[in-house]
Amino acid sequence: MAGKSGRTISAVPQKSFMKTILSWEGILLVLFIGINIFCKCISPVYNFTNVLREMPKYLTEIFLLFPMAYILLMGEIDISVGSTVCLSATVACLVSNAGLPFGIVLLAGLATGTVCGMINGFLAVKFRELPTMIITLGTQIVFRGIAEIALGDGGSVSLVNADGFRMIAGKVGPFPYLFFVVIICAVIFTVIAEKRVYGRSLYAIGSNSRTAFYSGIKVNKVLFTAYAVLGFLAGVSALFLISATYGANTTTGKGFEMDAIAMAVFGGISTAGGKGKLTGAVIAAFTIVCLRVGLGQINMNAQVILIILGLLLICSVLLPNISSALHKTRKKA
Amino acid sequence: MKKKILCTILSAVMAASLLAGCGNSKEEQTTASAVEETAAEDQEEAPEADAAGGEEAEPETDAAGGGTYALVTKSAGNPFNEKEAEGFQKAVEAIGGTAIIQHPESATADAQITVIQSLISQNVDSICIAANDENALQAALEEAAAAGIKVCSVDSTVNVASRLVHVNQAGVTEIGQCLVDAVYDITGGEGQWAVLSATSQAANQNAWIESMKEIIESDSKYAGLELVEVAYGDDEPQKSTDVTQALLQNYPDLKVICAPTTVGIAAAAKVLQDQNSSVKLTGLGLPSEMAEYIGDDDAHSCPYMFLWNPIDLGRLGAYTSAALVNGDITGAAGEKFTAGDMGEYEIVTAGDGGTEIILGAPFAFTPENIEEWKVVY
Repeated sequence: MAGKSGRTISAVPQKSFMKTILSWEGILLVLFIGINIFCKCISPVYNFTNVLREMPKYLTEIFLLFPMAYILLMGEIDISVGSTVCLSATVACLVSNAGLPFGIVLLAGLATGTVCGMINGFLAVKFRELPTMIITLGTQIVFRGIAEIALGDGGSVSLVNADGFRMIAGKVGPFPYLFFVVIICAVIFTVIAEKRVYGRSLYAIGSNSRTAFYSGIKVNKVLFTAYAVLGFLAGVSALFLISATYGANTTTGKGFEMDAIAMAVFGGISTAGGKGKLTGAVIAAFTIVCLRVGLGQINMNAQVILIILGLLLICSVLLPNISSALHKTRKKA
Repeated sequence: MKKKILCTILSAVMAASLLAGCGNSKEEQTTASAVEETAAEDQEEAPEADAAGGEEAEPETDAAGGGTYALVTKSAGNPFNEKEAEGFQKAVEAIGGTAIIQHPESATADAQITVIQSLISQNVDSICIAANDENALQAALEEAAAAGIKVCSVDSTVNVASRLVHVNQAGVTEIGQCLVDAVYDITGGEGQWAVLSATSQAANQNAWIESMKEIIESDSKYAGLELVEVAYGDDEPQKSTDVTQALLQNYPDLKVICAPTTVGIAAAAKVLQDQNSSVKLTGLGLPSEMAEYIGDDDAHSCPYMFLWNPIDLGRLGAYTSAALVNGDITGAAGEKFTAGDMGEYEIVTAGDGGTEIILGAPFAFTPENIEEWKVVY
């Protein structure tokens, strides 16, 4: 039968070396290696240790990528996650400054994130007719607003006692703890998306939410869970962010949502839903991080780096479109 | 089949362009890194050379000044930062070093952390930073210090644990006093006034505003002045404009706006002059941007304003970095050093418990001298 893209899909996917290389994930992998060689060439200090040392700042954003990819796979979006990070970080800092034990501080940060995610999920499920873009635009403003009120006049709070957070910023050899957490998350999220029923439901909902509903998938439950998990990981991200800044302020987490969406889209996940793979998103995320680190090390103007990333993103979206357009022209002929 | 071929060609082109870019820059980079290595070697010898030559060693005549000095500004497109960077660059060139000027991608502490991490990788000799947040950079700067990089702050300070010394444009109370006196003078001794600041976390802005409040409370002479609001324009022209308009609307009896930020004062000046408002303006501004608004008559919105010389501030930042790297100073109070042709400076204790170097008192720009200064910066 003919699939969405007009290709004929056989019941058992054919696997071959050429196919793996020519898939988007394969191209990304080549690009990832290429960019690493490129960075190594342009920057004399681009090495394993330095990249790992500079990475934690970016890794906090990669957390958000996994659940964000789930939400995008369903054809939905969440642009409030940067504000969720800000609010979680604020709450965790305030709780820590109130002198409560470190365990409670961690719980407070995670709980705040989860609650924010559940609010998003609840609204998205209750008001299915509203675009999630609008719902989360609303909560984006609300969450940051609450955080700004909590931060008070100065707009910033600093940890009185940063010992606990110093601990989670620790390293095993050159690897920061954060790195392992991200890798573990990457594996779990990828396995669920590719091998589990939950993952198949994501793709089904993204392809056609109504059909999915009538075929017995609990659409609302899947949607709500994805938002709640995104909120929870926003909390995790906030905790690691605090360990890098020893505090929170009104600009904490600004732009995280767009960075996460950009990484996912670059990784081949369609914002229209139903298409794309987590592996692609993970490779894309690390490709972007390596490129940023490399270009940063040759002191390239930060604004120029943003332009390059923007162009890269546009190209990555255009490329499949161009190739499928060519494909169609050929079919007609 | 065609699709496969297309894909193969595309990936081949991509890989080829990467490799091509790689090949070209490799040669340049080798020369560049060779230069850097020589510079680094010179740098290692520098302390001995200096010790032998004594404190007054002429920087231009030997390679002792070699080394890489980094300046991290608050954001790109901020004219004050640009001038500061210009002065920094000039002074570093004068002592024969390499200057790295980095503008973070946005005016946040997060973006500055990214820049600092990259500078640590490059193993620069010193980092001089105008901080977007006083405390948020501590972890990154501690890491830099642990890597042997000398850290000082300039313009807007970082907390005591993160720096060796702060290069202050002027003492906080001196600025507070100047601004309060200006408001007192322009209002005629009583009436409503408002502050238009940058971001609510900017340490320098908050210190000045705090100092102004203290001065007003401590002297009954200022009892007639009523501070109605501290508004934040986030150092963005559009937001500053909106905030100014909101101030005018909310407080019809407002007499003076005091904007201790170059972006804010320029935005406010334009709003007031365009609307022919009777509200007057003072604060800290760049002469070149403010020249058309400065004047004593009703047609101009700003009778006079203050600033220090950002070029000199950048230069002092560079000389301080060099002195720290050369081991002339350690950042302890009471130490003295010669900042190139700027003369001798002494490190004093700062209000936050750390140490600082003060450039000088703020300078008043009046209708009489603005023509002369607007061409300078």
